Amino acid sequence: MVESDNRIPLDWDALEVGETFEKFEYTLTQEMIDEYRRGVMDPEAAFPTISHKVDVRQFNARYSDNGSVNARCAFHCYNSPVPGKKLTVTAWVADKYLRRGKNYIVTEAISVDEDGRLIDRVITHELKQPWEVGKKWDG
Amino acid sequence: MGRVERSYSEGETVGPLVKEITQEAINLFEGSAGHSEASQFTDEEAARETLGTTGTVASGRMSISFALELMRRHFGGDVFNKTGMVDLRFIRPVRPGDTITFSGEVTGVSREANGLKVNVKIEAQNQRGDTTGVGSGSAIVPNAYLPPDE
Repeated sequence: MVESDNRIPLDWDALEVGETFEKFEYTLTQEMIDEYRRGVMDPEAAFPTISHKVDVRQFNARYSDNGSVNARCAFHCYNSPVPGKKLTVTAWVADKYLRRGKNYIVTEAISVDEDGRLIDRVITHELKQPWEVGKKWDG
Repeated sequence: MGRVERSYSEGETVGPLVKEITQEAINLFEGSAGHSEASQFTDEEAARETLGTTGTVASGRMSISFALELMRRHFGGDVFNKTGMVDLRFIRPVRPGDTITFSGEVTGVSREANGLKVNVKIEAQNQRGDTTGVGSGSAIVPNAYLPPDE
């Protein structure tokens, strides 16, 4: 059965800076942490939340587009997440800009655990013409 | 491990940290968040369709993870995991088979209300010496972790 795609086609011009998405929750398991630590080859890695791409998750659930590529990312650490705790993420459109004829969207998110501990904050600049990567580096 | 007191000064070296990128590592990174669908990170065809590249690439967020490790090793987890940050621009794709070296240099220190803010310039280079990422990071070191005369 094919699932219907209820997402809105992205209109970059109409996108409003400040749009805040519905909160979402997930539980970070020890298995997720272990797999992340093997992936980054760091047994003490404290922020497996980075691989969950929480700042763009709700954006991608709302809008359809031609994909994107990460152009810049900032990550702020506040408290290491605890395995088994539920995390609540709030994400929003922090900015958008046009540079050298290419469109960028900046998303931002904060994660808080079920005890109210602030976990981290992530800010990502996504280039909305991902094929530019191949044109520039594989062309 | 007990608290380590040390000072920080402009020009001091941070790292280096060397990472060998494999497709297996990329798959683990993506899989750790339950991303099981084919993507530009895990599937060559998806990478060709989305990015126009001849192979997969590593997520920029893997480079963020490595920059976090570089900084955590320098400042210690007690400090960095509570007050640290990194901010990277991704210059070139990182691909399976690449060896990426992350290095940093302290560019300045300043007094903040809650300690000493240490700013670091960060760069990542591949095995050919090409820059793959560049940016900065910082940590605020509480006074209790600094020598008394700091």
